[in-house]
Amino acid sequence: MNRPGIKTALLRHETVLLVVVVLEWFCFNAMGPSFGSLDNTFDLLRHSVGIGLLALAMTPVILTGGIDLSVGSLLGLCAVLFGKFWRDAGLPIPLAAAVTLVCGAAAGGLNAVLIARWRLPALIVTLGTFSLFRGLAEALTHGVDTFTNFPAAFLFLGQEHWLGMPAQAPIFLLIAAGVWLLVHRTTLGRSFRAIGYAPEGARYAGLPVSRRLALVYVLAGIIAAIAAIIYTARLGQAKADAGTGYELLAITAVVLGGTSIFGGSGTVHGTLLGTAAIAILNNGLVHARQPREVAGMLTGLLLILALAGASLPKVLAQRWPRRQNAPH
Amino acid sequence: MTGGKIKLRDWSAAVVLGVLLVLLAVFAPAFYQPQPLLSLLAREAPALVVACGAALVIICRQIDISVGSQFAVCSVAAGLLAAQGLPLLLVVPLSIAVGTLLGAINGVLVAGLRLPSIVVTLATMVTWREGLRWLRQGQFVDLPDGTQWLGLSQTAGQWTLIVAALLGLLGLVWATQHLALGRFIYAVGSDAEAARLSGIRPQMITFLVFVLMGALAGLAAVMNLVQSPQVDPKAGTGLELKAIAAAVVGGVEITGGRGRLWGVLAGLLLLACIGPALTHLHLEAYWEKAIQGGIILLAVVADGWRHRK
Repeated sequence: MNRPGIKTALLRHETVLLVVVVLEWFCFNAMGPSFGSLDNTFDLLRHSVGIGLLALAMTPVILTGGIDLSVGSLLGLCAVLFGKFWRDAGLPIPLAAAVTLVCGAAAGGLNAVLIARWRLPALIVTLGTFSLFRGLAEALTHGVDTFTNFPAAFLFLGQEHWLGMPAQAPIFLLIAAGVWLLVHRTTLGRSFRAIGYAPEGARYAGLPVSRRLALVYVLAGIIAAIAAIIYTARLGQAKADAGTGYELLAITAVVLGGTSIFGGSGTVHGTLLGTAAIAILNNGLVHARQPREVAGMLTGLLLILALAGASLPKVLAQRWPRRQNAPH
Repeated sequence: MTGGKIKLRDWSAAVVLGVLLVLLAVFAPAFYQPQPLLSLLAREAPALVVACGAALVIICRQIDISVGSQFAVCSVAAGLLAAQGLPLLLVVPLSIAVGTLLGAINGVLVAGLRLPSIVVTLATMVTWREGLRWLRQGQFVDLPDGTQWLGLSQTAGQWTLIVAALLGLLGLVWATQHLALGRFIYAVGSDAEAARLSGIRPQMITFLVFVLMGALAGLAAVMNLVQSPQVDPKAGTGLELKAIAAAVVGGVEITGGRGRLWGVLAGLLLLACIGPALTHLHLEAYWEKAIQGGIILLAVVADGWRHRK
């Protein structure tokens, strides 16, 4: 794993992605004046915070070799719960937010118990909770109830400026920095990669695998709850369908960012670049008067290309091993 | 892990379904009106075809979440062909051909390039779905008059679809139990390396399973298309999760190599009956999705519990 060849390849992936992001930016800038304006940049930031947060939550999960399909549904459930606590239970906003975070942690805890403690496959467990959380959100609102008329002080978080940028940007940067430090600068983060690389090996090396796995799913739940509150503040309303399909965009951002879907390798800054690539593509194409669907299609193709680009040389080398060994 | 326990898990979905049906018979006999019941079964017939394919993919230790989008592409393609005046007899194979092509693309990426199927099919799901939205802009396809219910009366058409889906299920059950190719799927799913050492080409089997999945999605698309006068370009949204859920609830293990296609039928019917059952038991229908999620979790827990024993 520590061979320099793989390391440089990883480095190259993120560098390439950075170049792609910068190129995207300049291309869309050249196409029209509206894209590069400060207003649009802020708009872009506001819109990408939700998916960015879920992608940040997803990164440690995928690093451990797992997956969490339930984060988008959990965003919806937390948005509804937040609205319920505030409007129906009459809690003040900060308290409602705090209780929502606890609920997010508990929902992540349900995934954690099933995946980490009972060792059930993450894909199918989170498929179940994907349906369960969205279903609870629908049941709580009877499918139609919407929470609106939040106080202006709360909407400030999603719609106003603070420190010269959109108010949610500092929160996002803080969480991104936190996740980056956790994954790249702590033994905890190192253990995530060890577990993803070889779960049995990690166990024999004395790592508390169950507890570490539980941690990443609970963390994902908490971050999804934060994303729900910011999402509600941006739109000014909370509905049961909040965040539908976000889990797929988050996974795309993470994989595009160079994290191996099998676990064991990947970086948080790669995830941030992946999120940026998707967000700029979406926003830029809309400004270039292209339909939104083209952006979605290109995101899918980009994901396939990123994967195939990483795997094709290996497959070719396997199929024609001699060619690789031949002297150049 | 004794044989008895495996059988119990194979039948557990059917047992739960039976209990639910008995409960309905006692507390809500109105559920057993022939026409709504027939409509329910006909509506679920295409889903059964797709769920069988999904089960085979899972038995092969892969996953395909692009089936909903494949289904939508095939639906629109078949609808456009039918609108051009092509007879249904030609539309069916052409729709299957489109599905086969889409399945082959997944197959090449997964088996040929050794990419993880969850990500590949995630990407193709988004690509096909968005591409279709771009091309059609949400427009419905109007079907010619003779298309609905295959030109038969509604009841006859519904029976035809149900019988066709059951025949498809029977054929696949027979194939997985008696054809070498069917057994190979189980072999590759339980241990690809052991399968390779015994002379099976795991990548080829994986490729074929994805191709079969696409073909079944194409067939299901036509079975769905003949039930309405128009084709919705959003058809099949969420179908992939329904199919996977039916397979898992029916006892197909997500870790590959184990599961019976009969179970898929029970799993699908169980999940499909929840909605109408809630209505007839005068409970709030909004709980449907939450209960389905709970059933999936219970099925997984049951699988895990058995392995621990």
